[in-house]
Amino acid sequence: MAGQSDPHLSIFSPSEVEFVAEDEIVEIVPNIRMEALNMICGDFGPFFPQIASKVPLWLAVALKKRGKCTIRTPDWMTVDRLTQVLDAERESPKEFQPLPFHYIEISKLLFDHARDDISDAYLVRSLIEDIRDVRFHKVETGLETISGRTHAVKCM
Amino acid sequence: MYGRRASQLLKEVDSCEAGQLVPFNSDVFDQVIRECNEHNTQFQSLIRKMVEQNLDIETTRNDDHYGAAVHHLSLLRNKRCLMAYMYNRAEVIQSFRWKIGPVLPHEIQEKLHFSEKEYFKNHSAAIKSYMSEMDIDLTVDMVPPKDPYIQVRVLEDIGEVSLGDHSISLTKNSLHFLRRTDTEQFISQFWISDMELVRKHNQADSKQEW
Amino acid sequence: MSSWEDDDSAAAAAAAAAASTDVELLKRAWRNEKASPEILRFDSPLVSRVREQIQLLEETLDDFGESGVDDLVVSLYQMDLDRTLFLLRSYLRLRLQKIEKYMMHISKSEDLLSRLSQQEQRFAKSCTEMMEKHLEQSVLSKLPYGYDSVTRQSLSSTEDDMVPEPQLDTFVFCKTKSDVGAFQLDDIGEEVVDLVADDLYVLRYKSIKGLVESGQIDLI
Repeated sequence: MAGQSDPHLSIFSPSEVEFVAEDEIVEIVPNIRMEALNMICGDFGPFFPQIASKVPLWLAVALKKRGKCTIRTPDWMTVDRLTQVLDAERESPKEFQPLPFHYIEISKLLFDHARDDISDAYLVRSLIEDIRDVRFHKVETGLETISGRTHAVKCM
Repeated sequence: MYGRRASQLLKEVDSCEAGQLVPFNSDVFDQVIRECNEHNTQFQSLIRKMVEQNLDIETTRNDDHYGAAVHHLSLLRNKRCLMAYMYNRAEVIQSFRWKIGPVLPHEIQEKLHFSEKEYFKNHSAAIKSYMSEMDIDLTVDMVPPKDPYIQVRVLEDIGEVSLGDHSISLTKNSLHFLRRTDTEQFISQFWISDMELVRKHNQADSKQEW
Repeated sequence: MSSWEDDDSAAAAAAAAAASTDVELLKRAWRNEKASPEILRFDSPLVSRVREQIQLLEETLDDFGESGVDDLVVSLYQMDLDRTLFLLRSYLRLRLQKIEKYMMHISKSEDLLSRLSQQEQRFAKSCTEMMEKHLEQSVLSKLPYGYDSVTRQSLSSTEDDMVPEPQLDTFVFCKTKSDVGAFQLDDIGEEVVDLVADDLYVLRYKSIKGLVESGQIDLI
């Protein structure tokens, strides 16, 4: 009857990870006028046409779906930046380059809902997939070093 | 061999898919209980024999002592297996309250020991009383919420439709933004399509082309 | 170049403001609870505040319905409400499931019981009673005298040796919120790690549980 840790309790489901990523702040450019939103999760707006505003990703996607804004691609999601990151990730086997913690989920949500706002979408997407593969490999290698005596592994 | 039947019970639990339940194995379970009592009878008689010979049962290390120890340890092992069997099953059974609801379907009911049925009922009652004390229903919202509205394209002329407090005209090829719950009947009849799914589908197709 | 810096500091300020909302605090509690092997302290005032905000927004949405506020605005507030409700329910549910898992272990420790809300304490108590009754009538009552305890294998056990408990030396992923500095991970001071702000680590839960309780580190 020894207690084992329960994986069902301790692991976030993909939809829960997405839920968390939806709170990341992104920039939108509205095409409408709308009063400030005083929400439980924070205060956003007021919104004016063509004037950029910062909102959580879920709100950005909701407005985008209703045709009320465009979403500005985050700085890190450009071909230039991602190419730099990928090169650096490949060169240093231990280091990780700075990217948002939820870069996979954020980019997935943007690809699903605001694809027309992303320049070079195909290239951006394949760069993110490459970075993910390189990183997974690094994390796997890092975790393999854990032994009975290990106390800590640093990941970044 | 001592303990083999008991481990068979655990193998049953182990070979079962996570979160699933096999029928309560009362045959093997009862046999293991009988084994336990036989071990105890043997154990007691060996101890009695040592006492009758005026041997100190704390310090004596003769054949009877080791025999008694084997019966004692076998009984412990059987007990641990029985308890693990019941406890692991109870954990699966209580998870049913969250996954299935307060009433279990017949095909699950018939896999349960009578005490397990009672446990499920009592456990459900404890959750219910927590929820009423807290005045919150925890059996809904099991997964993160989605946008309650979706964009749809009308595939067939449907005409005027009343949705809650207003009505709209669903003409072929028009685009609308509707409550997800209002659209379900039309989507299931292929009269309208969810644009998000359409876009994802198109993306998946184009991705295969690269 | 200066516009970049402005942008960064504005983003940092926005992040700091966002981190202080109650929903953000609840989300942190939810994530820590999810990743921690043992049950953490229940923050009653925080949960009450979130519930008040939920109620307020529900009332506001009712008013919106009557005063004919734009559907767009209503749908956005509805999403905010749905997200908060999910978070609250998921958090409370997660705690109940953890209590279910370690009911006996929790019920016999004053320290662990004090981490639960009153309602959770009652839940833990009745869960334990029912589990004990179930094991009693299905197994223990059929076993010989001396072997019929629910918490001990037999009379020869000198302490409870049949109570499932969480494994505190399991590895967890965690993120430091601020510089902690040199931190000792074991009892004898042989393993020291420099915990720098915003870094990710894989550590044994046991060694950093104090930092989780004091809010210096987040589990992810």
